[in-house]
Amino acid sequence: MRNLHVRGQLDRVFTATTALSIVLLTLVLVAILGPMVYRGSSAVFFQGTVEFRKMQKNLFGRGNEQALNAEVAETDQLRRQVYQMIDGFKKGVDVEALSEQVREIYRQFGQELRDKNVPTGQYTKLRELTRRIRDKLETAFHSQDINEIKRAVAEVLKEADNPHLKGTSAEKFFALARQFLQAAGQIDLSKHQEYAAAVQEVEGILFHSDSLPGLLGPRPGEPPAPLTMLRYGATRWDQAQVLLDRFLWVDQWVQEKPGEPLVLKRRPRAELFPESLRPLFAYVEQNADKMLHPRRTIYWQFLIDDNINSHYFGGIGPEILGTMLITVVGMLFVIPLGIISAAYLVECASDGWTMRIIRMGINTLAGVPSIVFGLFGLAFFVLFLFPALGFEPKPCILAASMTLAVLTLPVMIRASEEAIRSVPASYKEGSLALGASRFHTFVAVTFPAALPGILTGVILSLSRIAGETAPILFTGAVSLGAVPHSVFDPTRTLSYGSYDMAVGDRLAMMVPHNQYGMVVTLVLLILILNGAAIVLRTRVFKKLRGH
Amino acid sequence: MRKAIVSAVAVALAMSTAVRAETLRIEGSTTVGPIADAFAEYFKGVYPNLEITVNKNGSGNGATALIEGRCDIAAMSRFMEPQEFSKAVANKVYPVAWTIAMDGVCVVVHPSNPVKTLTSAQVREIYMGKITNWSQVGGSQTPIVVISRDSSSGTYETFETLIMKKQPMAQGVEYVNANPQAQARVRTTPGAIGYVGLGFLEGVKAVPIDGIAPTRQTVANGTYPLSRPLFLFTNGFPKLGSIPFKFVTFYLTEKGQDLIEAKDFVPMTNY
Repeated sequence: MRNLHVRGQLDRVFTATTALSIVLLTLVLVAILGPMVYRGSSAVFFQGTVEFRKMQKNLFGRGNEQALNAEVAETDQLRRQVYQMIDGFKKGVDVEALSEQVREIYRQFGQELRDKNVPTGQYTKLRELTRRIRDKLETAFHSQDINEIKRAVAEVLKEADNPHLKGTSAEKFFALARQFLQAAGQIDLSKHQEYAAAVQEVEGILFHSDSLPGLLGPRPGEPPAPLTMLRYGATRWDQAQVLLDRFLWVDQWVQEKPGEPLVLKRRPRAELFPESLRPLFAYVEQNADKMLHPRRTIYWQFLIDDNINSHYFGGIGPEILGTMLITVVGMLFVIPLGIISAAYLVECASDGWTMRIIRMGINTLAGVPSIVFGLFGLAFFVLFLFPALGFEPKPCILAASMTLAVLTLPVMIRASEEAIRSVPASYKEGSLALGASRFHTFVAVTFPAALPGILTGVILSLSRIAGETAPILFTGAVSLGAVPHSVFDPTRTLSYGSYDMAVGDRLAMMVPHNQYGMVVTLVLLILILNGAAIVLRTRVFKKLRGH
Repeated sequence: MRKAIVSAVAVALAMSTAVRAETLRIEGSTTVGPIADAFAEYFKGVYPNLEITVNKNGSGNGATALIEGRCDIAAMSRFMEPQEFSKAVANKVYPVAWTIAMDGVCVVVHPSNPVKTLTSAQVREIYMGKITNWSQVGGSQTPIVVISRDSSSGTYETFETLIMKKQPMAQGVEYVNANPQAQARVRTTPGAIGYVGLGFLEGVKAVPIDGIAPTRQTVANGTYPLSRPLFLFTNGFPKLGSIPFKFVTFYLTEKGQDLIEAKDFVPMTNY
């Protein structure tokens, strides 16, 4: 009686343990896949800004032109104020640019005089006068003494009424001088260089720097930046918020005590500038959403678009296509080869030394690291077999699929072998007794009965083929290339693409949504393929049981 | 199912007979890869019929691929080694080098690190394990976590030649795979030291070496001790005006130099 009680308790403990482990497994899966799926889905679902819609229109020809133009006009209206504030401030700060401007006016005026065929004496006199103006202005620009600036500008402006200069390009001298005087009155002139550097950084964050995109994108009329990604501002609201934060705050590492690690201090960027530019920061902070128009966006074309600038823009269409192609071609090799080998091992081979060695070989093959298969594929398929058959020795889908097929064959053979072996002997005996040949028996009786088990092998090798990276590294994957036309072209794939993004460009860190998007797509693709195979298996199984 | 397979094979065969366009295959360094990518994207825009593939498997593999005739251009962050040259010549391949850009290998630390400058001897001793605490080089009382690139990378070779002077690295050195990983490791570890390319300085602090900070200027004129050229290798001198020729000389154009700068490398020439 007591014994029975203990057994009952033990049973309950066993049930509880198994249930708990299932719960744990689910939790672990959720903990790993959850954040990944969440971040990956942000490649498709996000808050897209007007810059995103501009990019889609220009690069992919999508969207309503009229609506976009209206939106751009609306946002440009607000951005103009930003340009004005920065330009006004730079008038007093960017000494080199101002000097260059003055020299340009001087050259232009000289050209004008020559075009008008002014007599030589007059020409020399006016050239001399404008050169003096030019030099005076340059002295003023480089001066740090407001009185000296005032004096120099006053001397320049004395010439403003000179009848020979009226109505010529030389008038630009005076406009520039007045603007400069006004701007110079508002700032601490000893900080010229500091301000110039700070305002350049601000321009980098707002418009774009040499190598990084900015919040609003390039100013209208600017010559197009070398890389496509620099031609647009923040296309996503989450990116915009990061840039906005960088714009509003400066991170500084300060030494508080000697010999101790530095401490991070954040201070408003506005403090780096004199009063005259501070309104810019409040303005951008308040109007960022109106200048960018974030809107809920579903970018399903992520799944068909090609990428632009190393996955900065665009999607993963060619990668998905490449993965599917490699998988399908690989399965074309694995399935027949695997089933035939398994059939041979079960039906035809006798148990001898050779068989034991072959079986051991298959088992060992299943444990060989995948990179070894990659190198084998390169040496055998690409460099030996292709030239021998008269093909070009270059990596391609066919070579990659064959390499992957070799890699997954052991799995396929083992699963099929088990399945064929577990078909009851009575089935076969019945068939043979009816006079069927051994081949006919296998095709008509054993194979259909073993099909569910064989499909399990298919599922296992399918996931392996779709997800492997190392074997295709040298045999068929590229990080950049055209969409494949045939199985003799190399291709991009999801697995190699994920690896390439992680080790390659610094840009990948700026677009984690695309990185996660690619990984999640790979996981989902395998899930879908597996799901299809499982459904097929269930149907086969039901049919076998006569339902 | 059977029908589907048959039609798939038929489609694949039909497609393989389609007309092929001119191709250009580039293989090699992960460091030069971004430049090759940018050039390739530009060329794709200019020559729509051209098919360019770029593969980033490391400088060594680029050299092997060129020698074995698997690619048209090998991208390398180091010069070809003598044995690679002799193998190439034995294979009737004659490698021609094109120096397309400069890169600085920057020694980086966590931004909280108070160290202001290091000498190359100090860096060497840190990597040899002789200096193990930042206080020994004027920093705070923090143990040094030493991060290195793996020994197959061109960046490692540059570092080994120019800083280590062939001295072995210490046992405790942590090896990482690529620039982004090295940067991420240093950015998140207060006591860490590592080395990365010029384009990977965000969130980390580049320490001046022998008093010289890595900037575009110091890398371009070679005063920064860890400057290195980046190469493209072709098999022989490409035919003038051909696509490979245009590709390897693209760095001479203003557009090419803009792209190199946009990818955070230093152009060879100042226009």
